[in-house]
Amino acid sequence: MLKLHDLSKIYRTDEVETVALDTVNIEIEAGEFVAIMGPSGCGKSTLLNIIGMLDSPTSGAYLFLDEDVSGYSESQLSNIRKHNIGFIFQSFNLIDELTVAENIELALLYHNIPASERKSRVATIMDKVGIAHRAKHMPSQLSGGQQQRVAVARAVVGNQGLILADEPTGNLDSAHGQEVMEMLQGLNDEGTTIVMVTHSPAHSDYARRTINLFDGHVVTENLRATG
Amino acid sequence: MISNYLLAAWRHIANNRLFSVINIFGLSVGLMSCILILIYVRDELSYDQWLPDGERLVRLHTAYYSPDAPPFLTIRAAGRMMEAIRNYASDQVETGLRLVEVGVTVVRGDAIFNEDIMFADGTFFDVFQLPFVHGSAGTSFSKPMDLVITESTAIKYFGRTDVVGKNLTACCLQGSQLEVQVTGVIRDLPENTHLEFEFLTFLDPSMFDFAPNVLNTWTSVNTYTYFKLKAGADAESLKKRVDYWLNNESPLREMVEEGVLPSERLQLKIMPVPDLHLKALRDAGNIGDMKPLGNNSMVLAFVGIAFLILLIASVNFMNLSTARASRRAREVALRKVMGASRRQVAMQFLGEAVAISVLSLLFALVAVELVLPFYNMAIGRQLNLVLSDDLPLLITLVSIAVLVGLVSGSYPAIYLSRFLPARILKANQSSDGGGQSNIRSLLVIFQFAASIGLAVCTVVIYAQTSYARSMDVGYNYENKIVLSGLGATAAVDQRQTIVNELTAIEGVEHVVLSSEVPSQDNENNTGFTLLEGASEGLSESVVLNYYTAGFGFFEAYEMEMLAGRGFDEAFSSDVIVPVPEGDDRIGHAGVVINESAMRRLGFSSPEEALGKTLRADMFRAGTFDLSIVGVAKDVYFRSIKFGIRASVFLNNPGSLRVATLGFRTHDVAGLVREVERVWKKILPTTPISREFLSEMIQAQYQAEEDQAKLFGIFSALAVVIACLGLYGLASFTAERRTREIGIRKVMGARVRDIVGLLVWQFSAPVLIANILAWPIAWYVMSEWLDGFSYRIEGHYILVASMAAGTAALLIAWLTVAGRAWKVAAANPVNSLRYE
Repeated sequence: MLKLHDLSKIYRTDEVETVALDTVNIEIEAGEFVAIMGPSGCGKSTLLNIIGMLDSPTSGAYLFLDEDVSGYSESQLSNIRKHNIGFIFQSFNLIDELTVAENIELALLYHNIPASERKSRVATIMDKVGIAHRAKHMPSQLSGGQQQRVAVARAVVGNQGLILADEPTGNLDSAHGQEVMEMLQGLNDEGTTIVMVTHSPAHSDYARRTINLFDGHVVTENLRATG
Repeated sequence: MISNYLLAAWRHIANNRLFSVINIFGLSVGLMSCILILIYVRDELSYDQWLPDGERLVRLHTAYYSPDAPPFLTIRAAGRMMEAIRNYASDQVETGLRLVEVGVTVVRGDAIFNEDIMFADGTFFDVFQLPFVHGSAGTSFSKPMDLVITESTAIKYFGRTDVVGKNLTACCLQGSQLEVQVTGVIRDLPENTHLEFEFLTFLDPSMFDFAPNVLNTWTSVNTYTYFKLKAGADAESLKKRVDYWLNNESPLREMVEEGVLPSERLQLKIMPVPDLHLKALRDAGNIGDMKPLGNNSMVLAFVGIAFLILLIASVNFMNLSTARASRRAREVALRKVMGASRRQVAMQFLGEAVAISVLSLLFALVAVELVLPFYNMAIGRQLNLVLSDDLPLLITLVSIAVLVGLVSGSYPAIYLSRFLPARILKANQSSDGGGQSNIRSLLVIFQFAASIGLAVCTVVIYAQTSYARSMDVGYNYENKIVLSGLGATAAVDQRQTIVNELTAIEGVEHVVLSSEVPSQDNENNTGFTLLEGASEGLSESVVLNYYTAGFGFFEAYEMEMLAGRGFDEAFSSDVIVPVPEGDDRIGHAGVVINESAMRRLGFSSPEEALGKTLRADMFRAGTFDLSIVGVAKDVYFRSIKFGIRASVFLNNPGSLRVATLGFRTHDVAGLVREVERVWKKILPTTPISREFLSEMIQAQYQAEEDQAKLFGIFSALAVVIACLGLYGLASFTAERRTREIGIRKVMGARVRDIVGLLVWQFSAPVLIANILAWPIAWYVMSEWLDGFSYRIEGHYILVASMAAGTAALLIAWLTVAGRAWKVAAANPVNSLRYE
């Protein structure tokens, strides 16, 4: 599905040069469930942002669905992104002024999809994640677990093949965290590729493969035996 | 504690440049406008306030009404009124005063000047206690022909001011030269008085025996008439007495038609002298006062604009402060945790607002210094601002600044001080609830409604002014030079010679004579009686205005004749030849009437009027039967403000005072030199007075144009300040919504989707502002336009409204879009990681 080749990311300020990623090589197949782990500041989020095309690498190649996107313009990236990639954030990032249904619909709003179809797809996905009864509520009226379910729904409502989750359980208690992980597990079983940054070894166990980062380098890759 | 507040305030100002610049700049411009308007208004209000006993001085104004003509208004009065009223109301009136203005020439060595001499009753200095430089009221103005001049006139003629006893030669009163001795010198009249004269002469009534329509008349209005009231009397009580006198005791009862009260034909108004500058305009009619009058409603309008501008600037402050509240929420919360009360926090923010406002006042004062010369040029005044000698003004300005600070600071202070520390320090929730942004929207709506309203008014005022200027007046005023002074005794004999010589100059197309040229206006009215045929009975007389037009006048001015002809040398019988005194014969002459006069006389077509005869009393020339030889199309002989009068054109050589010289040449300067040479050769003792007619016409609308310009400048400033506020608000809103923008971008929104979103958010208030502003502007401007007899149509207001509304929307879009673009183009990653 995607392939990073000798990819580096360097942040420069006036005086300091920080190497966030140093010649990283990663390949992720379609249908995989990959966890990225590592201490704070090791480059996890930078890696996820580059995979999600929210940030661009300083050097190296990024092949997405066999296309090298490293030189693409922002609008080209935006176009690939909105059709293929869904995002889940630690802090949910729902818009406070919009209802649950409207927040989910947001992911379809910029896809040129007629309003009626948007409505039905939103309804379907809300049923699936079990928040249909909360459709008209505002995010502030929901618990953290419920908010994250809305975020998951938003990430997949556009039939995106790849979901990038940045510590999706970081702001949740263990019961709600479990719930969200099971939901991701279910999506992966249906064929969605998932790349997840996490601190929790328990949650990384849901993934088939774990990539450990340290100081911008891939240090280990562990494969979990299937079954 | 104070220093801690000051430090926090200063760092806040320094660290938030956009916020501070918008606030300080906006308030400075607001205060600057306010100061400029304030000193203008203060000057307008200061007129004649300085006169000793000013509250006891009044002036008599006259208004004539006739059934089917517009009223004739004037601030002058008939010559006999002063004495009659003074004697009748002697318990209220201490003394009376008449002023009569006479144009003369005064000689100094080789130089000759045209001057106006003000003849005044001996009571002048009892009424107007003007300060003397040399001499005194008792010694310098005690007998007929005593001459008091102003300091600058003394310097102009003698080079110094102690000139009592010196002689001046003036020409001419009743055909003879006068040798007059200067008996006193007064200080120059200040700018802020309605009075205007350089020469003041003790009036001997017998001097005007030759002209009974000046002093010895109940109906001709040629004197400025003042009264000084006794203590306790006022204008209103005197007005009541005068009204009673008019209908019950005055000789005017005999002069009106049977069954009509004098008050139905004539009104006498009494206006306090300190009110004259701002209120006399409504009584002044088309001739005006000694000098241009102020306009009360304009003064009020300007005060209103100053207030609006300040309010708009204050609203910016409120909006930006609350919009940025989240930035300072933490500071408030920590201060409260450390033990500050809500009151203390509120005081801190109020203090900050006042500090910013006072700082803005300093900038505003500097700005006023810089723009004052241009401002003075625009309004034709010499205003200045010297705060060190003007404590009241300084106190006023500081009070205004403090008040603005308190008003602007009040809402942010209340709002910010309400923050609960626990919520702010714990949750990273956006501390800005929906309610505050609603109030901000309301304030933005107010700002834009005010700005749009001002812009509509500006456009309408401008359109009306240029309409007045560009309207087809019905004659050609381009390429014409007007030469006055041909009525002077010395010039009368040379009149034909000079016309001939001027006509011979190369490039001159024609030279015609008349009593007035367009834009010059004298109210010359007399009764004309239509004789049905030659000898049938007399019908009622109709009062018409009359001019004198020499041969070729209508052709030179390209005035259209609807029937008949203009005056032509081939018809010498048209000319009025005075009937010798003592002779009872009725003279005969031709007359041209205009369309309005044709209708007033009851003719239904120009052809019907031709050949009919009008009988009229031509004062010293005798009684004449005037045969209508032509009907001229109506033209705007005077400013279109005053409409068209029913008028009669006579060819009376005794009244030819002005020459119009039409030219066609590229070398206008050369032509002017040649004209001056010819004039000097033929009339060496009469100074030339020459003007371009187009400039005279233009000058009629100058006051309105200046006002329109000023109105435009101040409303543009209001719009700029409102837009600055919107820019600031858009910036901070965009900033506040960065997380939302980030989410939308991750969901695939393009930059232009985001810009559209923000632009729409700010378009809504501007659209609502339009809906509010239009009806108000419509109402105000309709009222204003109703004051003009010739005005642009109402739909222009709608056009102006749409133009102003669209412009406001476009400006708002540009303002917001620029800012939104920057925020929308930013990488969403940064805004999504942390809250």
